[in-house]
Amino acid sequence: MTDVLIQIVASGLTLGAMYAVATVGLSLVYGSLNMLNMAHGAVLTLGGYVCYAAMTLAGLPAVLAFAVAAAVCAAAGLAIYFAAALPLLRSGNFETNIFIATIGIGSVIENLMLKTFGPYPIPQPLAVPGHLIVGGVHIPYQNLFILGVALALMAAVAVLLQRTRTGRAIRATSMNRDAAQLMGVRVGKVYAQVLALSGALAAVSGIMISSIATLTPVMGGDPMLKAFIVCVVAGLGNVYGAVVAAILLGLIEAGTQYVFGVRWSFAILLLIVIVVLIWRPYGLFGRQQVVRL
Amino acid sequence: MKRSTRLSTPNLIAGSRRNFLIKGGLTTAAALTGMPAMLFSMNSEARAEGEPIPVGQCGPTTDFAAPDGIEFKNGLTLACEEINALGGILGRPLEPSFEDTAQMGDATNVQAAQRLVDRYGVHAILNGYNIGSGAAIQEVAADNGIIYVHYDTTIGHNDLVKSNPDRYWGSFQGDPAEYWYGPGFLKFLQDLEANKEWTRPNNKMAVILSAGVYASNIANAVKEQAAAYGWEISLFETVGVPASEWGPTLAKIRQDPPAVICVTHFLPADLAQFCVQFAPNPTPSLIYMQYGPSIPAFRDIAKEAANGIIYATVVGALQDEIGTAFEKRYKDRFGANAGHNSGAQPYDGAYVWATAAALAGGSGEPGNADQNRKVAQRMSAMIWRGVTGTTRFMPLENAAYTYPTQTNDSSLGMPHQFLQIQDFTKGPGLIAPAPYGTAKFVMPPWIKA
Repeated sequence: MTDVLIQIVASGLTLGAMYAVATVGLSLVYGSLNMLNMAHGAVLTLGGYVCYAAMTLAGLPAVLAFAVAAAVCAAAGLAIYFAAALPLLRSGNFETNIFIATIGIGSVIENLMLKTFGPYPIPQPLAVPGHLIVGGVHIPYQNLFILGVALALMAAVAVLLQRTRTGRAIRATSMNRDAAQLMGVRVGKVYAQVLALSGALAAVSGIMISSIATLTPVMGGDPMLKAFIVCVVAGLGNVYGAVVAAILLGLIEAGTQYVFGVRWSFAILLLIVIVVLIWRPYGLFGRQQVVRL
Repeated sequence: MKRSTRLSTPNLIAGSRRNFLIKGGLTTAAALTGMPAMLFSMNSEARAEGEPIPVGQCGPTTDFAAPDGIEFKNGLTLACEEINALGGILGRPLEPSFEDTAQMGDATNVQAAQRLVDRYGVHAILNGYNIGSGAAIQEVAADNGIIYVHYDTTIGHNDLVKSNPDRYWGSFQGDPAEYWYGPGFLKFLQDLEANKEWTRPNNKMAVILSAGVYASNIANAVKEQAAAYGWEISLFETVGVPASEWGPTLAKIRQDPPAVICVTHFLPADLAQFCVQFAPNPTPSLIYMQYGPSIPAFRDIAKEAANGIIYATVVGALQDEIGTAFEKRYKDRFGANAGHNSGAQPYDGAYVWATAAALAGGSGEPGNADQNRKVAQRMSAMIWRGVTGTTRFMPLENAAYTYPTQTNDSSLGMPHQFLQIQDFTKGPGLIAPAPYGTAKFVMPPWIKA
């Protein structure tokens, strides 16, 4: 029975870590810009593929491939800003319009991946080999690596938001865009910075997730859905809460898969979302006031 | 649309047919071997230079099933090129058009099929598969009086056609229904034991499926008939899609190790992850999977963990003279990594239809149900030996017979192929059924150990 418990915890942490890395970028954008970036899953896919291409086609070492993927996805984030966010910011009903626009952008990116890399699943070359044996359960180092990356990303985002001038501008914009603008914050620049940062974070997520789940042009869909659920449970826009909620939900999902069967896990996950929203309408870590970060 | 005039080597076994066809070096079809000789003989000296016959395909060229959808497109493209090289249908070349069905919901499938009729006026829809009810595009074919050949592999097709043969006369399923995977697998295990190639350590079988008509129907067929073969279903687990983390499911399997693990979920990346996570701490169980291992990416991802895995398909290119010649032509045309097993489906379907249309005196445009009924009658009467084996349709159900579960004559049914990955760096070995097998069953390394 101990083995089973260890297995469930290991699986839960793996799932939680995957959800967490996918959630950080999405949560950051929503928290600071009130923008639900539906292209996040596609940018995540782009990151995975760029890393693959950099390592296998260009022959770059893993660290450099990682950096190239982050840079390309940051550029994709900037492109989303210039192509969609900037023009739509000037119009009314920004939240709804950008939601629809990013669905379209995501679809374009996915299809570009399909045309460029083909439809077949591809293994991600950037992976940590080997495993740890705990009580008869084999835990791949890769899974622990993903968990570590999720926590590191959370810490990095926290430092950025709390300790830097850029972070202060982002927080000011998230609290009140108009007031921030009146106080001299260049709101457009903040949007561009956040979307670029979110793109780079998505690249990291894509590389991590594809190292377990393999690369396919549609691989971003499921992490995007799970990330959205995690964001809602944590409180939309709460980056730290999102990581904690992701790991909690991962553990609950693994537990329900074992006890009730895999078929019930997603339904139970959604049931938890409903209960949380009834109990705390702004999420587990959310606040009633419009201070998302 | 500009039609490609490139002549391809047709589906023939030996000899330089290209020269033969182009230069007219021989004058009788008697010199040809293989079923396309029939089509060529009917075309006589005709070259495919008449008014083109539009044909269509609606398949998933984007989204999660795109790996197959793109091969379906390739398969029909190659078939059309070859058929045109043989003179088309009585001198009229085939002109293929394609529509995307993405996630393959019934509504999308029907709209795509209807667009093929409205936009291109197709005489026939020659598909691979679309996941959906498997009983929707038949309505488009029936309403427009055209022929529809597909490889949805669903019992829903058989039931639909049987329910109203007067309406669905033009719809054909080129392969056996998925139901036959169940009894076929149980019979395969029985044969392994009878031949003393494997002995079950207990009577337990774990069945792992995903939510979806295809995987569920196969799993249910196994479950329903397991007891008759002496099996007890110890685990019947439905997984979500995608399924990259198998820990909780594997924990259940390890707690109560079964003799056989039967996975009817079919996505290659998920199945590869199952193998990777199973391998470090295996149970002495035979592992049988569906479809996914036939995609080369499965072996790329699972690597050593793929060795020993058994999988099956009721439709795939055989590893015989005809099948391997097709594989070579296919890969020469579409690249070394092209998946010829998926392309083989509409390829054979196109040949069956084209030959029947030539026998019937030509195909009919939408609305010309009288002519297309003649084509359908020829298809029903035909026994076609193609790259996937024999296509022979069951009367009133218009779906292919499966061999050996439905008929014990290998010339009268499409072989239900069992393959085993014995060395992940190479292609799989076809271990059953006779006489098509090219390799012997090998005990999986984790059981040997």
